[in-house]
Amino acid sequence: MTALMPPTGVSLAGEAVRTWNDVDVDPITLRVIGGALNSMAKEMAQVLYRMAYSSLIRESEDLGAGIFDVSGRELCESDSTPMHCGSIPAYIRGINRRLAGTYQPGDVILHNHPYHGAAHSPDYGVMIPIFWEGKHIGFAGCTGHVSDIGGNFPGLCMDVVDVWAEGKLMDSMKIYEAGVRNEMLIQHILDNVRTPEQNRGDLEALIACSRLGERRFTELLGKYGLDTVMSAADRWMDYSEEMLRQRIREIPDGSYEAPIGYLDDDGKNRGVPLKVAVRVQVDGDDVLVDLTGSNDQVPTAFNVPFEGSVLPTAVSAIRTILLDEHLTEEFVPQNDGCFRPVKAYAPEGSIFNPNFPASCFARFSQINRVFDSINLALSPVVPDRAIAGSSAALCAIAYSGLAADGESYWVYIEINEGSYGGRHGKDGMDCVDTLMANTRNNPIEELELNHAMRALRYELRSDTPAPGQWRGGIGSRRTWLMEVDTFIGSEADNRSDPPAGALGGHDGSAGAFIRNPGTDREEVLFSKVTQEVCKAGDVLEIRLPSGGGFGSPFARDPRAVLEDVLDEYLTAEDAHRDYGVVVDTVTWSVNEAATRELRSARAVS
Amino acid sequence: MQRIGVDVGGTFTDLILWDDHGRTVVHKTPSTPADPSVGTMEGIEALAERAGIAVSDIGMFFHGTTVATNIVLEHNGCDVGMITTDGFRDLLHIARKKRPLNYSNYQDLPWQKWQLVPRRNRRTVVERIDATGTVITPLDEDGVREQARLLRDRGVQAIAVCFLHAYRNPAHEERVREIIAEEYPGVFVSLSSHVAPQYREYERFSTTALNAFIGPQVSSYVTHLAESARTAGIGGEVHLMTSAGGLVTARSASETPVSLLTSGVIAGLLGGCAIGRASGYPSVITLDVGGTSADVGVAPDGRLRMKHLLDTRIGDYHAMVPMAEVDTIGAGGGSIASVDQGGMFRVGPRSAGAVPGPACYGRGGTEPTSTDAMVLMGWLREDSFLSGSMVIRPELAREAVQKHIADPLGTGVDRAAMGIFKVLAHSMTEAISLHSVRKGYDPREFSLVAEGGAGPLFAWHIAEQLGIPRVIVPRHPGIASAMGLLTTDIRYEIPTTVWTSSAAPNIPLIAEQMKRLEEEARAQLRADGVGDEDITLERSADCRYMGQGYELRVHAPDGQIDEDWVAATAAAFHDVHGRTYSQRFEDKPVHLVNIRVTGVGAVPHVVIGQIEASGEDPAEALKTTARALFWRDEASEPEWVETPVYERSRLKAGNRISGPAIIEQFDSTTVIGMNQQATVDTVGHLILERTNA
Repeated sequence: MTALMPPTGVSLAGEAVRTWNDVDVDPITLRVIGGALNSMAKEMAQVLYRMAYSSLIRESEDLGAGIFDVSGRELCESDSTPMHCGSIPAYIRGINRRLAGTYQPGDVILHNHPYHGAAHSPDYGVMIPIFWEGKHIGFAGCTGHVSDIGGNFPGLCMDVVDVWAEGKLMDSMKIYEAGVRNEMLIQHILDNVRTPEQNRGDLEALIACSRLGERRFTELLGKYGLDTVMSAADRWMDYSEEMLRQRIREIPDGSYEAPIGYLDDDGKNRGVPLKVAVRVQVDGDDVLVDLTGSNDQVPTAFNVPFEGSVLPTAVSAIRTILLDEHLTEEFVPQNDGCFRPVKAYAPEGSIFNPNFPASCFARFSQINRVFDSINLALSPVVPDRAIAGSSAALCAIAYSGLAADGESYWVYIEINEGSYGGRHGKDGMDCVDTLMANTRNNPIEELELNHAMRALRYELRSDTPAPGQWRGGIGSRRTWLMEVDTFIGSEADNRSDPPAGALGGHDGSAGAFIRNPGTDREEVLFSKVTQEVCKAGDVLEIRLPSGGGFGSPFARDPRAVLEDVLDEYLTAEDAHRDYGVVVDTVTWSVNEAATRELRSARAVS
Repeated sequence: MQRIGVDVGGTFTDLILWDDHGRTVVHKTPSTPADPSVGTMEGIEALAERAGIAVSDIGMFFHGTTVATNIVLEHNGCDVGMITTDGFRDLLHIARKKRPLNYSNYQDLPWQKWQLVPRRNRRTVVERIDATGTVITPLDEDGVREQARLLRDRGVQAIAVCFLHAYRNPAHEERVREIIAEEYPGVFVSLSSHVAPQYREYERFSTTALNAFIGPQVSSYVTHLAESARTAGIGGEVHLMTSAGGLVTARSASETPVSLLTSGVIAGLLGGCAIGRASGYPSVITLDVGGTSADVGVAPDGRLRMKHLLDTRIGDYHAMVPMAEVDTIGAGGGSIASVDQGGMFRVGPRSAGAVPGPACYGRGGTEPTSTDAMVLMGWLREDSFLSGSMVIRPELAREAVQKHIADPLGTGVDRAAMGIFKVLAHSMTEAISLHSVRKGYDPREFSLVAEGGAGPLFAWHIAEQLGIPRVIVPRHPGIASAMGLLTTDIRYEIPTTVWTSSAAPNIPLIAEQMKRLEEEARAQLRADGVGDEDITLERSADCRYMGQGYELRVHAPDGQIDEDWVAATAAAFHDVHGRTYSQRFEDKPVHLVNIRVTGVGAVPHVVIGQIEASGEDPAEALKTTARALFWRDEASEPEWVETPVYERSRLKAGNRISGPAIIEQFDSTTVIGMNQQATVDTVGHLILERTNA
């Protein structure tokens, strides 16, 4: 598909292949079916993460689930990680290209091929074709990030030669065929990963999740009939599409460019930043996200699958900015309709549309940057919906080692949170997953029960947050002590170009990985490392970027500045220098007169 | 002896009295939110007068309250300080770092916007205990003293003490409490090792901070109420309902008020269980519908089920305390119907509340609500509203439905009204189905108990939708929660983390901890004055397959802790996992994460007495007939039917009513659908069942 991509871009929206007769649906039934679709997707996700093994699925909810029609059009999706759900339609197109016409009731298909729809290879997808009155009418599907897929390195990878080195690829594998489990194939898959027991449990959870979706959807068909259910689903897609188009129409037509961004490096060629160019073109009620001008593809795993990752990101960014769930009273369900108005384009051979067989395992930092840039590009035309730059990377670190039995590996992947930029009327959110990511952290007490790592610190960063009328969010600072020799792999981006301030707000601050901070062995590590060895007794400090400020700091309410001083985010000197606010450190109050004087002097100069 | 149950809700305080002869007397009075104990004591006097007894004849006082809940929902607790492990000052600020909304840059993170403890008052001290409970860095006592003084000087009203791994070794937290007692005597102190002694630091700290946040206010309320009761001559201690469905003494409630958070809604579920039992149907689903929200609960065989750890939330916060499974959704009599910009029909969760209220109240509300729809369908008449003491203006309801629903959808008012009802009922159906019945329970084995003023308006339809074979409408649907207070026992649940595997179980550890928990539970009950003959101990365990992240709770056997005990507990877990997730992995080892002991102190339970019997013919209770809108089945058009209207209080046991029919009483109205009939059973409950017409 990518080979034929027109420069006008392509969308995630599917082509309607009618397996039903379109009928009128009364408003009540429409409402009822919409509610049923949403709750079945939610229920699918709950089953998956509550019974899963991989910490990424169970704690981080790094998963997606939903119901799709035969060509992969999304009827509903779960409320988990945005990255996953938008990608399932692409998985389905991937398996359809091999298996269309061969589906039978009782099939279960496992797929993770990043050049055929997978978001990236560790996101196992399990799809179950749904049959009704003997006819194949759709799919229940889900995806989840498993701990290891048997690539060159445990857990994560960066410096690898190609897509075969990043892990074992499964392209449209029927692990059940007509209800018969292919135990040998499953055994083969599990024999070739480092965490077979975890992956086995996760695979069972993925299957249970999709089976539940199949059952629930079939129950719905039993109650209302195929024609009514599918016609209702169509109306809901049209509804979501129309709600989004209404908002796009409010933006003047034009081409909006974000400032060029740079990623630290590709994990191998140090000191060579990678360019991210994002242009958003608005034309009536259509949007094109054009990545022309971005870096060429790189010789490591730091490339992005176009279909499974770039497209969902473009859609999520536009939807988040224009139909922000907090600012929109109506609940607009995420489905194929949201995909329709948004297209994306990236030239072949670029980091956002690499040529096979370049590895594209580590793609999250790049796509989060695309999201951030879409927001920055649109900020002049929608200032009350856009925000300052966010941490906009993903700091994933895999810790691993040989287990005590000497035979198996332990692998623990941690996704460290970032922070948001300041917003129109509100400070940025501190210490939280950003943009396309939305995962949970793992309890420290659980990690210490399971692994030979000890937490020394997990707090907000101690340096000053980015000044602004609404200041930037604050990133976190986490410190681990390795109690045994431990391998570390990472796919972060520490934002050597920090999150951008907006409308006079200051830029945010960069992240850092520091080994043995404050000792004579202190050493700053690159944001992307491959199989780095930390010795027993080594300490690793991880600092996450803090978001940019929004608006001039001299317009910030002095009382808010005082609150920040009292909460020890700022010193009185910071308040004076960055905000023009004079805090009396005896009475701990704002010296109003001195503040007025200082601020007016600054305004003149 | 006279026993009373008093349930204080946001609008009304419901009271019920039960004496040794099985007589029950009920009363309803407006709540007094400024000081709820005022309304409570006035209500008790009125109730006693109605029952013809003296207040001092009351020997037991059971209480359900939303005081704790409201403080949390309204974010108006006290100023809290926190003493925590050095390096971990901001765990409450970071929380689980997952945004509530996926597609939103402008959302607020509740734990950051409404902080339980502001950062300035989160103070750290040097100390560290590891995962085995071993002290690896001793407690810096001077540091503790310094921070305690600082918090005193700042005037905090409560202090939460939260150290890593304190669930394993509480020594440091307990020492901090001693130091605080020296430096700042009288301040309310919460220790994480006491409030929620289980691993998972964020949830434990948040629960402890929440306890501190509501502590001083709740304990002063409870103490004040207990004093008023004593002054009025009420004998015995005041007992309060917990979120887990047990009673605790005022003393215990004052120490861990966080255990009271869902007190009110649980009482409704317990009341439903008692109602089901009295009618001979122990497995119940309860539906309690009020003005703005509906509570649904499921109790197979009349037993409460506990919520999953990820679901034990209150408002914006996580509380790692046992909560019985009851879910609340935004659907009630005041739910607003609308047609949005994209042409979609919506009902709720927005509510017209008491002000301006439904359009038909004529208090300025112009948007149509479900109450307006039911007025237009002829189900609610003037007599339905507090026995006619309120003026209802159907023409305003019609205008609102016409303008906001019927016109935009291009349909008639009748169909629009039916639509409002059905869409709202559907959200209740989904809640029952998703949160409860889809967890492996077959609705055909349950009865639906209709509670609250509006529950009996919806129950007939919801039962049909879900295939629930019968609806039970108790004599006083509005008082079901108050009655629930009289149907349970004193219960203390104490957990501890054991973290061991069925493959290589640490039996001495489990045995030692179980013994400790049982002694603590027994001691707690004895301190409440419960005699040994009334004490029983229940064991449970939180288990998962080794490598999973979340536990499920299972009943654990009594008797000696040995290999067989572990095997039996593991077997119980396989069953629960199978029921919950439709999958069981019998070859996988089971991880015993926590064990729990619940000490139960038996209390006499209310017995619902019989009512006067008569023949099948309900003619004596017939008030009138009225035109009302009904439909034969889901697919058919609604039709106007001349419908009999009965007076509930005149119905006798054995009466039989064929649908459609409407039954009115002081604070509630029951609707019976077209293909249904209702029988009044011996205890006066209406039993609605489908006829095979």
